[in-house]
Amino acid sequence: MKKLKIITGITWAFAGLVLMFILFPGMNNMSRSASKLPFMKINPNYTGGVVAKEIVEASCTLDIRRPVFDGLIKERKTGFVQIDWRGAVPDNIVDTIDYDLDEIPDFVITIDRIKPVTSINAVNSKVLDVGVSTPTSYGWAVRVNLRK
Amino acid sequence: MDNNMINKTMKKSFGKSLLYTLPMFLVTFVLISGGKPDFSNLPAALAMMVTFLFMNVLYFMMHYTGKTDKFRAILFIIFALSLSFTLINNMIEMRHSMSFSQADVLECKIPFCHLVIPMMIIPAAFTKSIIFPGSIIGGFADISSMVVLWLVATLVLGRGFCAWGCFYGGWDDGFSRFRKKSAIKKISESWRWMPFAVLFMVALTAAMTLGPTYCDWICPFKAVTEFEQISSIESVAKAVVFISLFLSLVVVLPVLTKKRTQCSFLCPMGAVNSLSNKITPFVVKIDKKVCSECFKCVQVCPLFALSKEDVKNGKASVFCSKCGKCVDVCSKNAIHFGIKGVPAGTMKNFSRNLFLFVSFLFISVFSAGSIINAVQSIFKLIF
Repeated sequence: MKKLKIITGITWAFAGLVLMFILFPGMNNMSRSASKLPFMKINPNYTGGVVAKEIVEASCTLDIRRPVFDGLIKERKTGFVQIDWRGAVPDNIVDTIDYDLDEIPDFVITIDRIKPVTSINAVNSKVLDVGVSTPTSYGWAVRVNLRK
Repeated sequence: MDNNMINKTMKKSFGKSLLYTLPMFLVTFVLISGGKPDFSNLPAALAMMVTFLFMNVLYFMMHYTGKTDKFRAILFIIFALSLSFTLINNMIEMRHSMSFSQADVLECKIPFCHLVIPMMIIPAAFTKSIIFPGSIIGGFADISSMVVLWLVATLVLGRGFCAWGCFYGGWDDGFSRFRKKSAIKKISESWRWMPFAVLFMVALTAAMTLGPTYCDWICPFKAVTEFEQISSIESVAKAVVFISLFLSLVVVLPVLTKKRTQCSFLCPMGAVNSLSNKITPFVVKIDKKVCSECFKCVQVCPLFALSKEDVKNGKASVFCSKCGKCVDVCSKNAIHFGIKGVPAGTMKNFSRNLFLFVSFLFISVFSAGSIINAVQSIFKLIF
């Protein structure tokens, strides 16, 4: 038994040595494999959710994303919808947004990029306020807080 | 302290030490240079060579002097400093600031570090997603690479990751070496359980909020990496918390206690790595037949991993980071690096040689990029 313990211990230690040898040369392959694991995607609370509707405007494209209410087990009572303006975004933006895609406008958003000031005029009672409004590398992004 | 005993058993002759360094020399050369060093960029090649030679001198000295901790700490502290330097340098070049903006969060451009891992486990299980605004693969410090690196390291080294791999640990390790004697000597060893409480708290709050609460609110190392742009009362409060924690746990308390207080009391990753210490092949063992119970090892342990009870029981606790400080200070050579299953007091040299090779290989290759970058920047400043 004592000998078996010693042999097992030493074998495990040498396996550690082998693992360390292959770690750095195999890093690219291993991390690529790890990235394919089912949970290896960024939570919608950070990405803003998938794009639900794309509206092509004169100088830029407007992406309305799926509203995010994601919680640990079930959906939360409050969430947000992210809207992205991509391309040559004008200094003053006024857009009517239908985030739930029911063909009825939910809020009107006004952005003055120079000042910068963002305001919304809510039509739908589930629309709360502006959470985030910020310039991005692709244009401008806004998160509007919602009630479920 | 009677250093002769250490020297007799662990110290090797010059030639033998060179022989033991040769495999590390070859392996690190291949792994750091990619097998074909690029001499077209002379400053980069020079920085690579300086780093590579410096690392191998440290490894040689570990064999030649029989001491571990001193030479490990040099590399460990340089790693921490150079990583912070490289990271801050990148931030300033890319964003002209050490702070990140809301846009960086929205575009998932935040570099990932291993401290997030304990918080992402429960949400990953329930929501099948990662609660961090970083990049899954590709780019600087992506999530997949860091997870693989940490997973292999913690499997092989256990909490050894905290002394041989963590790019933050070098900060409080460095400050803990400022004074020759500690000003605060009596600290209850029950504090060593604190990281488990922090782990429980941050894992729970992260699951509830679906956000990395430790990174958002607590992490003291934001002071030497990156932090949220100060744009609201909440961000001011966060800044006050992380700066206070950095000053108290990473600077002042390590100087006064000669202990790594941030790692001992706050780090949730330390708690996770302590658990993996149960499966790692490498351990620190105490030969009870030789031990004189002077308890010098208990005094010097920077992580409260050794209590008098642990010494009497003949093994270091799960909190041990295998830094080698206790091994170096033992005048009887009773405490030593060992392998699980191998009885204490036997195969000491073999176990030490194998452990040193594995752990040094990890820290040297892992730290090489940051150190080379820092050396190159120093070259640019001088020449």
